[in-house]
Amino acid sequence: MGSDVVLVIVVGTALAFDFTNGFHDTANVVATSISTRAMPPRIAVGYAAVLNFVGALISLEVAATVAEDVVDAGAITPTVIFAGLIGAISWNLITWYYGLPSSSSHALIGGVVGSAFVAAGADAVIGDGILGKVLIPAVIAPTVAFLVGALGIVAAYRIVGRLRPGAVGRGFRLGQVASGGMLALAHGTNDAQKTMGVITLALIANGNLSADHFHVPTWVVLSAASAIALGTYSGGWRIIRTMGTRIIKMDPAQGFSAQGAGAAVILASSHFGFPLSTTQVISGGVMGAGAGKRVSAVRWGVAGNIVVAWLLTLPAAAAMGAATYGVTRVFGTGATGPVVVATVATGLVAYAFARRARQGAPVPAG
Amino acid sequence: VIAMPALGTVVDTKALLETVAASVIAGVGITVIFSMAIAGAAIFADARRHARPVLAAGAAFLMGVGLAGSAAAVVIGIIVMTSK
Repeated sequence: MGSDVVLVIVVGTALAFDFTNGFHDTANVVATSISTRAMPPRIAVGYAAVLNFVGALISLEVAATVAEDVVDAGAITPTVIFAGLIGAISWNLITWYYGLPSSSSHALIGGVVGSAFVAAGADAVIGDGILGKVLIPAVIAPTVAFLVGALGIVAAYRIVGRLRPGAVGRGFRLGQVASGGMLALAHGTNDAQKTMGVITLALIANGNLSADHFHVPTWVVLSAASAIALGTYSGGWRIIRTMGTRIIKMDPAQGFSAQGAGAAVILASSHFGFPLSTTQVISGGVMGAGAGKRVSAVRWGVAGNIVVAWLLTLPAAAAMGAATYGVTRVFGTGATGPVVVATVATGLVAYAFARRARQGAPVPAG
Repeated sequence: VIAMPALGTVVDTKALLETVAASVIAGVGITVIFSMAIAGAAIFADARRHARPVLAAGAAFLMGVGLAGSAAAVVIGIIVMTSK
């Protein structure tokens, strides 16, 4: 009975993480389209939400879950997953509060690594998994996206630079509808899969599913797809503003080039089996599209803050996951710890949203 | 202590280089192809306005190639996603 209560809390927390993932990462998909006026804001987030939902259903091959690549499977219990998710949600909300685009995937990995470290010791953490699956792609993917964004915009300006700006702008805005759609599909496929994997792992750890016949139940697929789509539709306007207007002042050609760079890097990495952060890739593409036009066009101070957030994501989420696991275990091994922590966390989240609402969230018109 | 092994043992360098090459070719390629479609459309409109049928035909061809290439890129992207 106690373990079922923990399982229900873990599933609820995983779906809450999925919601924050969509909410936090909406900016990746729609910021460039909104800032170049390719689509009105509400239409853009609605479009992204629908395609995130569809993307989550496109591929049901759960890529062995994030957790299994970086943490020893024997160390994974529902409480470890719960603490990791709380760590990830906390970091997502902190970076949202300050309007910083950071990786939800790295937050999830960090949270689970931290809680597993406290639960089972250093041996539970797979060093080569973290290096090969997280750290190296975290350096290479945004660098490549930067390069592609820069080369793309240089090429685009050479081709259309002498033509009438009005017609060119309209053309690239139209193109952004397609490139933004591809990004939304890729985001839904990549990120919703992680939550599906986490819930499935919890079901296996709790004995509800067999580890020998790994499959994702339909209700898990539909609930994860719905949570990320709802989160996307809710729209993290603070991060949209940072991504869409504060890194560079973007024209439609730059928006298209950034989105093209992001979609190409995400799809190529998926094809060759390298997991990555969609946030880092799109940010890299936006910076590249700015620097390709003129290096000084990029607000490097804002870009620096974003890079610092990237560097902090893994250790900060790990520390929060570790602390959450420690607090949970203070109440013993039963359901009391997760119940208490989940209740307190819900209260803190409600307080953060209420505080931001009082300060006035930057919701654009339209 | 968490053991951190040598780089070459944890990353498939060949796959990594292929990923970088594919990203650069696809990312820059789609921007170039779509830019060609836009250039074709803009030149076509001007050529028609100034009654220059040969230039208009060439621009229409350029626009068609660009749009077909862009559509193909979208289809390939969806195939990559669904075949994971």
